[in-house]
Amino acid sequence: MRPAGGVSLNLAVEVAGLRFKNPLVAASGTFGYGVEYEGLLDLSRLGGIVSKGLYMEPRDGCATPRIVETPSGLLNAIGLQGVGVRAFVRDVLPRLRRYDTVVLVNVCGDTVEEYAEVTRVLDGAPGVHGLEINISCPNVKKGGMAFGGDPVMTHEVVKAVRKVTRLPVIPKLSPNVGDITVFARAAEEAGADALSCINTLLGLAVDVETRKPRLAFGTGGLSGPAIRPVAVRMAWQAARAVRIPVIGIGGIASARDALEFLIAGCRAVQVGTANFVDPGLYDRLLDELEDYLGRHGLTDVNQVVGTLQYPDLG
Amino acid sequence: MARMAANRLVRLVGREALGGDYHLLTFHHPEAAREARAGQFVMIKAGTSAEPPLRRPFSILSADPERESVSLFVKAVGEGTRALCAMGEGERAQCLGPLGRPFSLPPEGTEALMVAGGYGIAPFRLFAEELRRARRRGRVFYGGRTAADLQLRDRFEPLDVPLVPATEDGSLGERGRVTVPLEAYLDGRPGPVRLHACGPDAMLHAVARLAEARGLPAELSLDPWMGCGIGTCLGCVVLIRRPGDPRPKYRCACTEGPVFDAATVVWPEGA
Repeated sequence: MRPAGGVSLNLAVEVAGLRFKNPLVAASGTFGYGVEYEGLLDLSRLGGIVSKGLYMEPRDGCATPRIVETPSGLLNAIGLQGVGVRAFVRDVLPRLRRYDTVVLVNVCGDTVEEYAEVTRVLDGAPGVHGLEINISCPNVKKGGMAFGGDPVMTHEVVKAVRKVTRLPVIPKLSPNVGDITVFARAAEEAGADALSCINTLLGLAVDVETRKPRLAFGTGGLSGPAIRPVAVRMAWQAARAVRIPVIGIGGIASARDALEFLIAGCRAVQVGTANFVDPGLYDRLLDELEDYLGRHGLTDVNQVVGTLQYPDLG
Repeated sequence: MARMAANRLVRLVGREALGGDYHLLTFHHPEAAREARAGQFVMIKAGTSAEPPLRRPFSILSADPERESVSLFVKAVGEGTRALCAMGEGERAQCLGPLGRPFSLPPEGTEALMVAGGYGIAPFRLFAEELRRARRRGRVFYGGRTAADLQLRDRFEPLDVPLVPATEDGSLGERGRVTVPLEAYLDGRPGPVRLHACGPDAMLHAVARLAEARGLPAELSLDPWMGCGIGTCLGCVVLIRRPGDPRPKYRCACTEGPVFDAATVVWPEGA
């Protein structure tokens, strides 16, 4: 509870049995392992952070170029370069434990077994509060979107992870599917505690001079404000399809953007590409969020969740 | 990164059109003014508009701790740089810095040969100052397509650093690439030297080959596309193989560079 103009405003939200002090969470792949931001911002100001995706072993990632700017967006094919889960537990977690914020770890795998194996390493590791299951990265040849693009595989991965941990399990769904509600339900049925919606949209940028893709990997994942309306729509659809909470992700750079997701039914949101643009944006977002609540005579951010007045078209 | 960078809105306190698309922009940024070292950079974006999404990296050309300001050398080539160059005095930009690993001073008695291509001259103004403070000798080899691309030559005069120009069209200095006068100088057996280069990839690669062939130490400032500046987007990685590394490894140019030992840089095939 933070006082604002004499009125106590509650920004805290609960998702998957975890209490987030506010609904703003830093998204996987846009916030490193969190510790890179030490000194630039107070990690304890954030509702939570989601680590860069982790496999059992370190990964090199894709060749370069890996990122290209597009209208209101960023197309990337990083390919989950990372230090591996054991190095994360050994070197990063002790540093993150100094902060009062929810730590979610993004779990990757080339196989169903690997997802479970990574989960076993994280289960019981001090400082891990929950797991985000990455079944939607478009920039790896195996795993990733292959699991998130098939509801049977989605179910299988989530079930395998569920079986080996009591930590909250939060699959991150892909937007590169026809009907996201099918995947949302498959994940819920397999024992997910919440859903992250959405990962990046599969895209292709072409260098017309060389007639080659502008990314070395070819296609990439599109993020940033360019994808926000698609993300809000898909998070809204998912939230209506399941009983478990949904965390909205996609192009959030202001409190208004975050509120779109909350109003559409998300209990929390993740901020992604905007971390690259301004690592200090959380203070501004929190101020804007309190302003909004104040202007609307609200005392609790949960009061806006799912309040979308969608037209009844019969 | 030796010290922590500061993320702040910075006011434009001075601007100078240098001709062509080149501009010298001076911002009030106390931390960068105090701590910046040659080769370090800032990530900056004009105003708070959504387009283009990302900040852009710029070498710090000069730092004035008394006025708490830093100057950037900007060529307006795209949307982001044009917006910066269109800023009026008093307007603000989002700026993070100083960032990155700087050039290192050569040992006593070793002459620093600075090799610049086009706007790659940017870090060497500050480096020349550092050299003078440390009582090291320095010399600038400055190449470009034409004389108009060799901006800021006069800024080196007060520092008593010899500057050797070269242009591809012969409009200033020797005709040809910057490596032509550099090789000629090295052929004259100048004593112990170290190369420090900043410019286009082709020039950096040429300097790396030249350094290897002659057994000279060299530092290169690499300039890949950068997203965040603090090592989290992993967009600016370059292949580096350090002594003892079993194989090359992708390292962030923003945090482990932009300045790398030339002998550790693994060049892509055909580059």
